[in-house]
Amino acid sequence: MASNPPMDDSCLMAPLQLAGRLIMENGGETYRVEETVTRMGHAFGVTEVESFAIPSGVFISYRKQDGTVETAVKRVRKGPIDLKKVDAVNAVSRRVESEHLSCEEALACLNEIAQAKPLVSKPLQMLAVAVSSGGWAVMFGGGWFDALFATVFTFLVQIVTMLLEKFRVQSLVPTLLGSFLATLLPMLLYHFTQMGQVEMMAAGCLMPLLPGLAMTNAVQDAMRGDMVSGLSHGVSAILTAVLIASGALIATAVSALITGGVL
Amino acid sequence: MNETVSLLIEGLVVLIASFVGTFGFAILLQAPRRAWFPASAIGAVAYALSFVLIQLGISQMLAIFLSALLGSVAAQYCARKMRMIATIFITLSIVAQVPGLGLYRCMELLARQQNSAAAAAGVEAMSSILMIALGLGVGAFLFRILVTPRAHRT
Repeated sequence: MASNPPMDDSCLMAPLQLAGRLIMENGGETYRVEETVTRMGHAFGVTEVESFAIPSGVFISYRKQDGTVETAVKRVRKGPIDLKKVDAVNAVSRRVESEHLSCEEALACLNEIAQAKPLVSKPLQMLAVAVSSGGWAVMFGGGWFDALFATVFTFLVQIVTMLLEKFRVQSLVPTLLGSFLATLLPMLLYHFTQMGQVEMMAAGCLMPLLPGLAMTNAVQDAMRGDMVSGLSHGVSAILTAVLIASGALIATAVSALITGGVL
Repeated sequence: MNETVSLLIEGLVVLIASFVGTFGFAILLQAPRRAWFPASAIGAVAYALSFVLIQLGISQMLAIFLSALLGSVAAQYCARKMRMIATIFITLSIVAQVPGLGLYRCMELLARQQNSAAAAAGVEAMSSILMIALGLGVGAFLFRILVTPRAHRT
């Protein structure tokens, strides 16, 4: 693999840090961060590039041409998942290797990715998630009535969680409240109308809250021998599942109180 | 004959429903637009496979493992062909199989103080998650040794 021509190595850290941060923030795996940073560093012509990523931070180190070692730590705070950005950063790292982009060019591409607007607007995203809940309700064995109300309830849950996120309430609270509402609303609907199947509607509404990506990343990281990140993602997935279960449990108890124990 | 037709129709409904569900997830996770259809199709086919296998009498855990394995291999193959990151396809391939209904049943039974049934439902849900993880892991391993002889990133 041919590396890029020698360059001023004082600018290398910025694109490496930004690439690592963008992947980690938007739902990428830690091995991908480490691999991308190392490959980009090598493509920039640096010989000793080391990167270490955990879900909450990225550590990067490389030896400059004057023999000194430059090291930086970047704290990563999880934002909304955007796999398009992870894919786009991956594509930039490939271009750095194949087209020998300079670090300024790579940084410009990465900045463009960082500032890119989401592919789908928030209201459309909420609608898509709501419709998907209808699909899950049918998939679990529910009918069209269940699908319709799973869609409506999920849309309401999405609005509530969006409002909580807007007021910067900790990410665990929207999950707990979301699962509470996703379980309570179908139960109340059934109590007042005697129509539909509660568990199909509730399970459909709960599906968007489940930690599928964290679970996938935990497996992916653990498979590559990265136990720290694998455990970290695994614990994150378990914690989310416990919160969802707690919300559903509280909702079931509250519903029993409201309806006098008849569900 | 009637049973076969009924199973086929039920399987088709499950296939369409899981496709719709996975498609919504693709949008939720902001997957690139060109991945929406293939990733949703992989997720739907993988779930429909587990549904049909269970209906044919194969144990639920084996069915989930096999469908996660198929989903994992298909996801990685698709990622390779489309030159995109595998995470997109792998995550969406297993989304339908995450045991949302099982977790809900477990909590409902707990709230009703039917602890033994709740424990059974909880163990089943956790076993399903383990089978998905195992299927993904074995799928990744198989893909690496059978399909990817040279270093290649997806």
